[in-house]
Amino acid sequence: MKKILIIEDDLLISSLVQFRLKKDGYETVLVKDGNEGIEAIDAENPDLIITDVMMPFRSGIEIIHHAKKVLPDVPIIVLSSLGEEEEVVLEAFNLGVVDFIPKPFNPNELAIRVKRVLR
Amino acid sequence: MLKRSFILFLFFCSSLDLYSQGVRDILPDSVSLVEELKNHAYIPNLSYRIQVLGEELPESQQVIDSTFLWTRNERGYLSPDFENGAQLESLVSEIPENSVELQFYVFGEKSSIDGVYRFLETLVDTGDFVYAQNQKSTDRDLVLIANRYHYQPIEAYKNLLLSDNQLFGVTLINVFFVLAAVSMIIFMLIFKKRRNQREEQIKDFENEIIGPLTSLLFEKSVDQINEMSKAEADAIFQDGIIQRKLFKIVLIDKIIGLNKKMKGDFKDKLKLLYQKFGLIEITRQNLEHRKWEKIARGLVQVNEMDLKMLLPLVKEHVNSSNFHVRSLAGATLLNIAEKVDLNFLRDQNYPLSDWQQMHYLRIIKYIAPSKSLQISKLFGSTNQSVREFGFKLVRMLGRVDLIQELHEINEKVSLEERVELIKTYDSLGAHMEVDFINSCMKSNHPELKKEAIKCAGNLGNEESEDIIILLITENPEFKIRKILLNSLLKLNPARFEQFVSDFPMEENLKIKAHLFDPVLSHV
Repeated sequence: MKKILIIEDDLLISSLVQFRLKKDGYETVLVKDGNEGIEAIDAENPDLIITDVMMPFRSGIEIIHHAKKVLPDVPIIVLSSLGEEEEVVLEAFNLGVVDFIPKPFNPNELAIRVKRVLR
Repeated sequence: MLKRSFILFLFFCSSLDLYSQGVRDILPDSVSLVEELKNHAYIPNLSYRIQVLGEELPESQQVIDSTFLWTRNERGYLSPDFENGAQLESLVSEIPENSVELQFYVFGEKSSIDGVYRFLETLVDTGDFVYAQNQKSTDRDLVLIANRYHYQPIEAYKNLLLSDNQLFGVTLINVFFVLAAVSMIIFMLIFKKRRNQREEQIKDFENEIIGPLTSLLFEKSVDQINEMSKAEADAIFQDGIIQRKLFKIVLIDKIIGLNKKMKGDFKDKLKLLYQKFGLIEITRQNLEHRKWEKIARGLVQVNEMDLKMLLPLVKEHVNSSNFHVRSLAGATLLNIAEKVDLNFLRDQNYPLSDWQQMHYLRIIKYIAPSKSLQISKLFGSTNQSVREFGFKLVRMLGRVDLIQELHEINEKVSLEERVELIKTYDSLGAHMEVDFINSCMKSNHPELKKEAIKCAGNLGNEESEDIIILLITENPEFKIRKILLNSLLKLNPARFEQFVSDFPMEENLKIKAHLFDPVLSHV
């Protein structure tokens, strides 16, 4: 079973994503801020990371930096607001994220993208 | 240092002298002793008797008054025991000196004069006897007197407090401040405790909401949610918790927050759930509230959740005195009303700010293709800023069909509005308005004049060229001269060349060089 780490400070959004991914048979780990995200990357060894950009303590960019250092082959999907700075999105892609899903989003669409990335 | 020590020594010696004086030093004989005792109404455990010698008692009033108490003995008459020195004085004075004898009793026992001296020495040492006369005033005596009276500070202070108005006032103010401070601290503690309780409860409610709402959104279709009854919807949350107002408020925030971040049928589901949970009643209460922040919250809820049934309440706020409320109400009406006739905007009493215009324009641009907007209604508004906004809308939305309606009000509007009209004609390429443009070029209003000259460069005719040349010859400032020459160049390049060659002034040549420079021509 593939393990997906979801790093999102909005509990309702993260539980919606978790619910949808569990329906597709994935194991999910949920964390609610940047610090917990870094710890979870080290401890959980996930197959995919879904992260927000704007979060307490550590930004999504810092998380991507860390993930690429310790788990360079693990794909990362960024789930963030459309209003985010364009530079931040570009930086995320330059760091090697595989996909960017802007909010508002459809969890079913996210599930399809996750399936495609993990295929 | 030595001098100081000597002074201290002298002071010590003098004190020693005062303290070392005994009763015999102060009252050296029996006469002075009796004189002293006469001045004391009472000395503890010391009493007197008078022995009258002879067969008869003196016939004085004092003696007769106490006859029945005199006892007869072999020497004469013996008075009863008495303790008052003043009585001693009066009795002795009534009896001849050679037939009277004074007797002293200490602790009820007859005592000699030496015994009385010793007794008094003891009383002086214990502080129970203070000389009434023939005494030297010493610090020790003052201490002894003071020892007789118990110090009662509270009573004294109370009296002082009540008798001194200023002190009483200051004390009252201090008490008031202390009470106010204590009350504030208590109030803050209670307020903080309640707030913490509320925050904790909100967190609990959020946790209660996440599970059921998530599963509902994924497990039920839009139709299934639509068919749900109120009771079924309420049963989603345990223990009737949805009846609590705070829970409903938290639920509203969560649904609206989620609605902003979700796409597709999730939005429809959330809007349906909002109504099924009866949250619309909270929104209605917000709209009818007196506080503007509650109304604003209600308006956001109507806007986000498309609560069309509450539009009549929204309309009541479009002319609110509160900027935020009327902006939100206007935006909500534009967003969710099926028929947008812009009447609410036409009847605005308050001027539209740039921010409001930008905000409304963004919405109108979005809804214009799907809703029939009656922009021309804005031209008839009594509010100048609304009319100007109407002209801008014609320009921004490219409504060429409204040029004729604008033409009819060309001469009726103010000079400031004409600036917007000119910009609109320029933007829409309204050549038929060239006469109006030419008349505006002659205006004394600098902004209108400038915009009309610019517009003439695009839409002008030969008359415009003549006006431009006339205006240049009036020697305008550099910026206007540049706009004039630029418009002339656009209208008729040959006439421009001719004019510059006829008037080869430095400014004209510089402007020509600028306009022909491919890099600078658009700067």
